[in-house]
Amino acid sequence: MSDTDARRILVPVGDSDSLRDTVSYVVDLATETAPAPVEIHLVLAARTQAVSPDAPTELGTAREQLERVALWVEEETAEGTVVAREDREADAAGESEADADGEAPADAADAPGWLTVVTDTVGTDRYLFSPGDYADALLEYAAAAGIDRIVVDPEYKPGGTASMLQPMSVELARGDVPVETAPVDRPTEGAVLARAASLSKYLSVFVVSYLFYMSLSAWKPLDFFTGFVTASIVSLVLAPVVANRSAPLGVTLRRLARLLVYAPYLVKEIAVANLQVAYVVLHPDMPIDPEVVQLRAAVWGDGAVTTLANSITLTPGTLTVNVSERSFDIHSLTADSRADLFDGGLERAVRFVFYGRAAARIPTPRERGDAGEGRDG
Amino acid sequence: MTPTEWGIVALALAGAFFGGVAAVGLVRLPDVYTRSHAASKSDTLGAILAIAAAALALQSGLSTAKSVFLLLFMFITNPTAAHAVARAAQDQGIEPWTADEGDEP
Repeated sequence: MSDTDARRILVPVGDSDSLRDTVSYVVDLATETAPAPVEIHLVLAARTQAVSPDAPTELGTAREQLERVALWVEEETAEGTVVAREDREADAAGESEADADGEAPADAADAPGWLTVVTDTVGTDRYLFSPGDYADALLEYAAAAGIDRIVVDPEYKPGGTASMLQPMSVELARGDVPVETAPVDRPTEGAVLARAASLSKYLSVFVVSYLFYMSLSAWKPLDFFTGFVTASIVSLVLAPVVANRSAPLGVTLRRLARLLVYAPYLVKEIAVANLQVAYVVLHPDMPIDPEVVQLRAAVWGDGAVTTLANSITLTPGTLTVNVSERSFDIHSLTADSRADLFDGGLERAVRFVFYGRAAARIPTPRERGDAGEGRDG
Repeated sequence: MTPTEWGIVALALAGAFFGGVAAVGLVRLPDVYTRSHAASKSDTLGAILAIAAAALALQSGLSTAKSVFLLLFMFITNPTAAHAVARAAQDQGIEPWTADEGDEP
């Protein structure tokens, strides 16, 4: 198809956190060539097959979703821009929905403004399964409507993200329409990890890593050079991530002393628990009973939480999956390992290291009621 | 053989045993979470025992000190890596395998 009458941009619409930003990017693209007519095709690939009993409601929500995205386009355009709307889904609803092509370009030419928003649904007549199926349906639409360009939202990944299947954006590139992924920031969860670091922090990270490097090296002249380079890279990359607050020296020394008491205990726990896991793994029936459990640990502060999380992971049978504040998601391999966890031996030991002997006497997680059974258990 | 040599052999054999357990577990266990149990922990203990054997065998002050540093390093990095793998799996929405699903992962 030629792009003489109008540029046509296809945007696949689906559940995605960054779709709004993608729409904004597409409107910017359209505005660049402003007086020239542009059609933005918002196309939703239906998830359910048409024969499904839920199909009518499913299509209803699809309509609402397209409506919302179309509104976004109007919000993004400059004040006073006339945006023409065309709902091919509604046009086709009466009889067959296969006439997505046809006289559409003529409609666009009649539209009052330079920008036309076209909404449509594809894939209602079949079952879309893999990313390739979605790509096929969208490419058919692109061929029929004479699309010049496809802009894909990076977070829209229909048909699963199994590693053996190519993502839809790759599958779409099979067609002869240029495909582009919108330059949108992936939304990130949680707090910002890296902060701007001061010069003294860069220096201290540099010195510590240089000393560590030299302590493991053979003290040849070349080692001084390679150590310098390595420590420079390490401090440049990692200084912004290094913890900002540190405890006073006296507290740190006392903690280190108690850590020396903790270490043998941890080694003993690791050894015993490793034998249990070895038994489970080598047993012909492999008696595992994995489950994810929650634990609200009675430890406070980054250092203590990190130590506890790592100790839990080191102790065989339990693996820290996620931590937020004091709440731990822990994957446990056997019922025994869960029982040990809720008895709180490790937790008590970590409290002893960080806060002294008095803090070790807090009741166990089970007694406190902070031991949460799995979501699925 | 001297008692030290017996100790070295015992540590090395135990290290090899737990390394073997890690490998068997990696093959036999059903999903990413349970496998990272085997890959991280039995493996850590195996490596630690092997390094301890090496430290004992080297017997020279500096090399032994370096081995102890390596031990310390494994204690910190191995659980961190296992946590990163498990957390990435959770972020991807991978459901943990449970016993009542039968043998299929």
